[in-house]
Amino acid sequence: MSSTDRAVVVDDLRKSFGSVVALRGISFEVGRGEVLGLLGPNGAGKTTTVDILSTLATPDSGTALVAGHNVRTDPAGVRRSIMLTGQQVALDDMLTGRANLVMFGRLQGLKKAEARSRAAELLERFDLADAADRSVKHYSGGMRRRIDIACGLVVRPEVVFLDEPTTGLDPRSRLAIWELVSDFKADGIATLLTTQYLEEADSLSDRIIVIDRGTIIAEGTADSLKERTGGTYCEIVPRDMMDVPAVAAALGALLPGENRAALTDASDRVVMPAPDGANTLIAALNLVSSADIELQDIALRRPSLDEVFLRLTGQEGAAAVDAGALT
Amino acid sequence: MTVGAIPLSARPAPSTPQQWWTLTTRMIAPTLANGELATQIIGSIVFTVGFYLPLKNILGAVQPMSSYAQYLTPLIVVQAIFFAAVSAAFRSAIDALQGINRRFRAMPMAALTPLAARMTASIYRCVVALVVSLACGHVIGFRFHGPLWHTVGFIALTLLIGAALALVGDLIGAATRNPEATAPLLLVPQVTLGLASVGLQPVERFPGWIQPFVRDQPLSQFLNSMRALAGDSTPAAPPVTWSVIGPALAWVAGIVVVFTWLHARVAARRP
Repeated sequence: MSSTDRAVVVDDLRKSFGSVVALRGISFEVGRGEVLGLLGPNGAGKTTTVDILSTLATPDSGTALVAGHNVRTDPAGVRRSIMLTGQQVALDDMLTGRANLVMFGRLQGLKKAEARSRAAELLERFDLADAADRSVKHYSGGMRRRIDIACGLVVRPEVVFLDEPTTGLDPRSRLAIWELVSDFKADGIATLLTTQYLEEADSLSDRIIVIDRGTIIAEGTADSLKERTGGTYCEIVPRDMMDVPAVAAALGALLPGENRAALTDASDRVVMPAPDGANTLIAALNLVSSADIELQDIALRRPSLDEVFLRLTGQEGAAAVDAGALT
Repeated sequence: MTVGAIPLSARPAPSTPQQWWTLTTRMIAPTLANGELATQIIGSIVFTVGFYLPLKNILGAVQPMSSYAQYLTPLIVVQAIFFAAVSAAFRSAIDALQGINRRFRAMPMAALTPLAARMTASIYRCVVALVVSLACGHVIGFRFHGPLWHTVGFIALTLLIGAALALVGDLIGAATRNPEATAPLLLVPQVTLGLASVGLQPVERFPGWIQPFVRDQPLSQFLNSMRALAGDSTPAAPPVTWSVIGPALAWVAGIVVVFTWLHARVAARRP
């Protein structure tokens, strides 16, 4: 990336709160029109990173440039370039949706008439025209999230921080936000997305960074991260689980010893790596069907990001994923 | 979903006066609809009726001034601006709780603009409190007897005291982030300082051991100054001298300095 393509440049960022070390030297870049997914368990340092990049916290050392402005020496320049939506919706509950939009427009320097017409556009765009003149405290969770993001778009941002934007949202609101992220990409806006939905990071992000205990433990595309945990594998499920040993026998040399050893009396399927992808599956299918074993399912599987995450962060992360509360 | 979500034009330059006024009106506009204004008016009336009617015969006889209305009204005014401070605390707690302060801090806006706007809204509440409570006082017989500049001084001092109390309330709201807790937290000083002051009866009516506190505590100093500036038809009102007004001004200045410093401390906490 050339320097003008880089919307966010983070170099060796460190931050401690008292004796608690939140960031132990984080470096990454986000290009214009790129979506970077930030994943990590609770307390990994994701929100601290977002706080530093949006000038809410100052780093102990390291540098961070946002839209070309140094967060330490030119925080005002950073604030003129970003849009921040926190995990919590930040609105004036006493005002209507429209009044909130007009207020943020005026705060960002729009003239009264501009602020009003921009508010009307955004209400239309975010499907909130019907609720425009109701107080936002009566909005549903999804509507509140949409108006919250709309308030950040009264003026054009160059870098967008979305901190868990779809947590707890209904499918319609989630879809609207997913569409919006595509709009950011198309418009050349850099997006830093933290999310607890690995599936969301997978489908929205161009690249993913995994943070744990204040350091980056993995970086790459969703595909490359999946490769790191062993890549594609083949799963063979016989109709009768008593046939599992027969399947293993039929596969012969195709089934690595390691996977053969992993089979127990309780196994209902045979799992093995598929380095040649579909060819491995076809070979296995031929061997099993010539042994006349009836199958319920045979398929190529790719590791989910959850599995990648478990592998990368170890047990602590595993517990969080199991609880479905990975933040 | 055909209209562009993202504006194409460059950002305008934000202006501090426009931001200050926008944030001020956002707090003043809902007071008509959400009952804040009505509460303020009813509160002053209830306080006037609740103290004046039962106490005017008992305590009216033991105070030195021409009427109990003349003696009591400064306390009615102070209690009204205390109510205004409770509203300030409530709003400040809601802003802190809803995370809107955090959002403001990531926007191109001077750090002190939101506090300045909240204080402006507080002054508006104090003006309402002053007008309503003086109207109540007028009904029971309170009058200004001094020259015009004393009356102006009374209004200015009351607004200064109101600003100082609002600053305290604002800090309590910002620090606790708990709107429900703000009223009880301010009720304690409102009631204890209010009752143990020269607002209802002269200091000589209190037991000896508590008299130094009653005489010197800030609310009594405020009330003495306000009585001096309001004057009386008899020479019983305290004189308008630095020894009377000075302590009240010193208390206001002290509260403003200490609580502005505390505000900076709270603002520096982790977002």
